[in-house]
Amino acid sequence: MTRSFIVSACVTDADLAVPELARPVIAAAEAAGLDLLMLGRAGARPFDAQVLAAWAAPLTSRTAIVATVPASNAHPFHVARALSAVDFLADGRTGWSVIAEDAEPGAAADMVRAARALWDGWGADTLVIDKESGVYLNPDQVVRPNYRGPFFDTAGPVNAMRPLQGQPVLVLDEAAPIGIDDADVVLVDAPDAAAESARRLLKIAPGAEVDSAALAASFDTGEIDGVHFMLTESAAALPAAIAAIGALLADRPGTVPAITGTLRERLGLALPQTASTQAKGAFVPEYVA
Amino acid sequence: MSKQIHLWAFLQGIGFFPTGWRHPRARPEGVFSMEYYARVAKMAEDACFDAIVFGDQLQSRGAGGRTPGRLAMPTLDPVSLLMAMAAVTERVGLVATVSTTYNTPEMLAERFAAMDRISGGRAGWNIVTTAHPDTAPNFGEAELPPKDQRYRNAVDVVAKACELWAAMDRAGPALPQGRPVLVQAGQSPEGRDFAARTAEAIFCPAANIEAGIDFRNDMRHRIAGVGGNPDGVRVMPGLSCVLGGTEEEARTNHAAILDMGDVPLAIEYLSESLCCDLTAYDPDAAIPVDDILAKTLLPPADVAKSVRPAAEKGTPLGDFAANFMRHPRGHNVFIGTGEQMAEMMIEWRDSGACDGFTLQPSYMPGGLEDFAEQVVPVLQKRGRLRTEYPGTTLRETLGLPARLKVEA
Repeated sequence: MTRSFIVSACVTDADLAVPELARPVIAAAEAAGLDLLMLGRAGARPFDAQVLAAWAAPLTSRTAIVATVPASNAHPFHVARALSAVDFLADGRTGWSVIAEDAEPGAAADMVRAARALWDGWGADTLVIDKESGVYLNPDQVVRPNYRGPFFDTAGPVNAMRPLQGQPVLVLDEAAPIGIDDADVVLVDAPDAAAESARRLLKIAPGAEVDSAALAASFDTGEIDGVHFMLTESAAALPAAIAAIGALLADRPGTVPAITGTLRERLGLALPQTASTQAKGAFVPEYVA
Repeated sequence: MSKQIHLWAFLQGIGFFPTGWRHPRARPEGVFSMEYYARVAKMAEDACFDAIVFGDQLQSRGAGGRTPGRLAMPTLDPVSLLMAMAAVTERVGLVATVSTTYNTPEMLAERFAAMDRISGGRAGWNIVTTAHPDTAPNFGEAELPPKDQRYRNAVDVVAKACELWAAMDRAGPALPQGRPVLVQAGQSPEGRDFAARTAEAIFCPAANIEAGIDFRNDMRHRIAGVGGNPDGVRVMPGLSCVLGGTEEEARTNHAAILDMGDVPLAIEYLSESLCCDLTAYDPDAAIPVDDILAKTLLPPADVAKSVRPAAEKGTPLGDFAANFMRHPRGHNVFIGTGEQMAEMMIEWRDSGACDGFTLQPSYMPGGLEDFAEQVVPVLQKRGRLRTEYPGTTLRETLGLPARLKVEA
């Protein structure tokens, strides 16, 4: 099977919180065919990315938004609910990236484990919604996780469904480790053979030259699965910078990831085994207006 | 100019009636779909509602650790739903219910600053202190803090959040409204005092016009008493409705909604309301008062008040539950024609019973559709409801200064 080459970028300008400036950036990401657009990164989180991710949901149909989530200034119960809602609104195109920010060591990993436990409290086939019989859901599929960690205790069940993807795609930066070794996507500093099953995206520093031949070679040997551009442009300059990425990768190696389906499906990512005995995301009966 | 009626749309879940999700014109699958939220947000904006409001809970539905199978759930995060709606609308306000007990001022300030910026100044915060005992274990605590402590904390949290917003506004990008509109819904004396000091808009239940007048007068008195301007605060009692082309048709429609309830659903609803799982009891037997009072997580004296009179009459559990479910949450439920409803709303407004209403559609989206089609045009024709928005921010829509002056 031909592997697909993943294109990602992160943006960090505080002015992205202004809709007139954010809309062209989202539109540029869609037009350029970015697979992931990460809002903020470790060391730069100038806005509440969960709020912006929700706002961006109806404005995207291909690009998945990755929200940076701080381990301080957040609680897993709130995070689990917010990202569950965003994942439904975005048709299963949601990612998250937990960053330590000013939190104590271990808090970020605890955040990840607690949120996963809450999502896993809801079975994939919980919803029934049968008007005729009056059965809304199957209570046997809802369990109380009673998560207890070094920083967060949360009993649950969370009053949010299991997300459409089961869990949003977790993106972590190798250079800012949080003590979680089963991320779905890892941002790496150099191409390197790796045993883990995560998709590895090579970070491209701001303004760095892109050597397409070298990228293709690293991709072909399986050292990387794609690229991640660290964009430091102002919000106003971002659409042009994102368009330039699109042009640069017009002849990307491998195949372009499918543009339909959930992000997990498109990237071929299974749910992390440590967190769940369930292989699937939530089933929701179809909405017909 | 005749008194304008403010309208807020309370769109949490699938509607006011616990049975509503089973209605043929309800779309319970919609609560997981962007298409549904886009549709209802545009419906509210086309009808010139001031704002869309989502309530919130920080615990799963149910009682005694049992998840109900017949109640519509879960409750998706209101901030996320409202912000997705912000992207597909331009003027309607977006009011999220968020707890001061289980968020820090820093978390709240960051969240609402982002909401106000990305919505272009349409954010409102319905400030709650969280009263459900099942919430505490979700945040690593055995019990809720006592009510007086929760309210004292809320005062501090709001003050600190306001300081943070002022700093964020100075640092930029500017907060379009200076800070979100502050909304409150407290009923107790503590809640009312807090609202008088803090709120720019107030929700309340008011089952009839007298209750509305009493509440609004009491709030205006309290607001003036703490040096505030009573005319700067909008009092917005809850209002649900079932409409029909004739009164008789409306009554038939109401009966149809109630008839979708069955005893197992009613018992789940009662269990949740009393914080005590009653699903294992025989619905044909007497109300198990002693067990309820022993097991409930609510103050037993409050629970006793609601169950004792029926128990003393010998009402079976199932009948009690079915009757309980027919009158949800003490709000005014109007049953009649669109014309009659508009008349009633004007009477409330002119009698000083409210500044407007928080519409709680009987089921979604059919109940909102009916109101928008049958009542909104009548109010507009009578010059009581705007036909376009006066500005861009929620403050302007509410007739408040467009932007709060930020203290230097």
